[in-house]
Amino acid sequence: MARQKPQAPPFTSLQSRTLILDNGADTIKAGFSSHLDQDTKSSADACHIIPNSISHSTRDRRTYVASQLRSCLDFGELAFRHPVENGYIVNWESQKAIWEYEFFDDGAKARGLWCEPRETNLILTEQSSAPIAVQRQADEMAIEEFGFGGYARVVGAIGNAYADSAFGNGEGEAGVPAECLLVIDAGYSHTTVTPLLHGRVLQSACRRLDIGGKTLTNQLKDLISTRQFELQKEDWMANQIKQDVCYVSQDFDVDLERVWKGGMTDRRRIDHSIVVDYVLPDYEEIKRGFARPHDPSSAARKRQLGIGMPREDLVVIANERFSVPELLFTPSDIGMQSEGLVGTILQSLNALPVGLWQAFLANVLVVGGTSKLPGFVERLEGDLRSRLSDDIVLRIAHAENPITHAWTGGQRLAHNETALKQIIVTREEYLENGDGWMRRKFLGKTGG
Amino acid sequence: MALRFRTPHIEELPTAQTKQAPGFAWVTVPSAVEKPAADLSNKKRGTRFAAQGQTDAQKEAHSVRQQEKINARIRELNSDNARAGGVVVPKKEDGSAAGKGKTPNTRKILSSMKHFSHYLDDEVAEFGLTGKVDGMDRLTEGGLLPAASVAGAAQRASKTPLARRLQQDQSTGGSPRPATPSAVPPAATPTDDQGEVIDGNAPFPSQAEIDALLNAPPLLYSAARSAAPPVSAPPPRVFCEICGYWGRVRCLKCGARTCSVDCETIHVADRCLKFYA
Repeated sequence: MARQKPQAPPFTSLQSRTLILDNGADTIKAGFSSHLDQDTKSSADACHIIPNSISHSTRDRRTYVASQLRSCLDFGELAFRHPVENGYIVNWESQKAIWEYEFFDDGAKARGLWCEPRETNLILTEQSSAPIAVQRQADEMAIEEFGFGGYARVVGAIGNAYADSAFGNGEGEAGVPAECLLVIDAGYSHTTVTPLLHGRVLQSACRRLDIGGKTLTNQLKDLISTRQFELQKEDWMANQIKQDVCYVSQDFDVDLERVWKGGMTDRRRIDHSIVVDYVLPDYEEIKRGFARPHDPSSAARKRQLGIGMPREDLVVIANERFSVPELLFTPSDIGMQSEGLVGTILQSLNALPVGLWQAFLANVLVVGGTSKLPGFVERLEGDLRSRLSDDIVLRIAHAENPITHAWTGGQRLAHNETALKQIIVTREEYLENGDGWMRRKFLGKTGG
Repeated sequence: MALRFRTPHIEELPTAQTKQAPGFAWVTVPSAVEKPAADLSNKKRGTRFAAQGQTDAQKEAHSVRQQEKINARIRELNSDNARAGGVVVPKKEDGSAAGKGKTPNTRKILSSMKHFSHYLDDEVAEFGLTGKVDGMDRLTEGGLLPAASVAGAAQRASKTPLARRLQQDQSTGGSPRPATPSAVPPAATPTDDQGEVIDGNAPFPSQAEIDALLNAPPLLYSAARSAAPPVSAPPPRVFCEICGYWGRVRCLKCGARTCSVDCETIHVADRCLKFYA
């Protein structure tokens, strides 16, 4: 419905509660906020982390929807279906089932996330550069199918500008964004670099590295499967192994030397402080895998076929610990034609005027589940520092809770009625002006 | 004697004198096919894989095939487990019809089996045809709008800073450096030895520039991807298949990399693909 003169849409009041959904590929961060709250402090307690998947176990023939996974006792050969691909909601059938289970069904009341869509505003996050069809579908589902009273679709990184500053600047006013922020989101599907100016995305400078937590888990699965133990069907187990033992090396060459057994003429002593024995769970006796320092004599023990010893599946993990996360910094290791994370950040900066570089480099924020790998931020800082000249100040902050940080920003934004009114489109406005108008508004294009 | 290395075009200028010189003359062979038949200088292991009579086109095709294999592997790494097709969304107990979708559009959305790659292809196709997506511009690689020749771009004249970019050459060859808007030409900023522009005191950009940045349309999904490393970067690292150390040794038969004779023995015993000679 094209209008010649942009008129102010009829004023309709916002719903009292806002549901903020940081709809990620691995987990949904969900919780409520309200602009009627007196207390505008952000509180991560209100944020629930919900696994965004439907999983099925062929062994038990049981299906787990979203947070039902927490009650799962046997993760063996669990097949996952993720509604979100590459950061965008693609499979609405499963996403709807998850949302209904978590927010709209009667069972959700016990978990504190129940809401009546007609009386709730929805803030839904997506990645930047979304294909239009994907955006249209999300809008259609939110308003027509679920019937939310108010709706806003925002780029997920924006939440970080409204959260409490991770630089220790203290609490700002709710709903006032940080001036300059360079957000590095090391997520499940990929890693994005997004510069934000006053909480708005500088689109031409967004960059994306197609290596994320999923890539790392799959690479670890491949390496262990080809070298020691078949893990191709064990997504959950491989993910846990990655979280338990992987770390980012500060000096890859040195670490690789330390765990090499040596050549025929060049015998080396392996540094056993890095090597780790990982005991795989079998979900009967051992419910959860764990790592212990490598015990070379256990090789002799194994050779006795577990005589007198309880059976355990052991995987020895040495250079996989740091060569897998190394992919984030050197994607060419698997042949991907991309620069590493540091190169990607520099590409993003190159798309901005030089005068802004110092402002952004002094406000770099690292969020995302993959950034929880030990040594990630130190390595990033070291590598970036070496690529920049000495007179540029570099300040990198790691969010305290990298997973919920963007969500807490959304919560603070929703505390502020003015800010909320600027982004939310009420159901009445949508019915009046149409979906094209709404899409342009989310892009920041209309005057109305 | 044929020129061994691919050189820029060398022309023989005719000289006035033609001396009868004994023995030899420089002759350029028209189709420069290399034939290192008696190439005794390089007896190292890699010789078998040196281009023996391969033309440039064949070498190109071989590396393209290799890159395709690598790309397929990367796609696999980045995909969710293929068995997800076996995971069926559980039906609600009450079996109400509301599960099917309230409007025709939502019913279509709920039953769609498309994956992200389908949406991406659709968008690339739409952009290729019309230069716009959903009636709005999108930035291509290098942060540029599509060239003025594409339909509809002429309407962009009102947004001056962006329109100026339309004049510029669109083919940046995938390089991440955009054509800077001519409003603020970069002064000759000094670069350090790594090529990074250093100037912590560069002037803050003007309001017009900032507005242009803020109002720029989003990038296409493919344009937002991190670009390939520059040609001057070191070549990709190779690792041993068996143990993960540097891959210094190449298998004579299949070309796989291992780190040492020990690992090579294991490779030849279990993993070499060419075991039937």
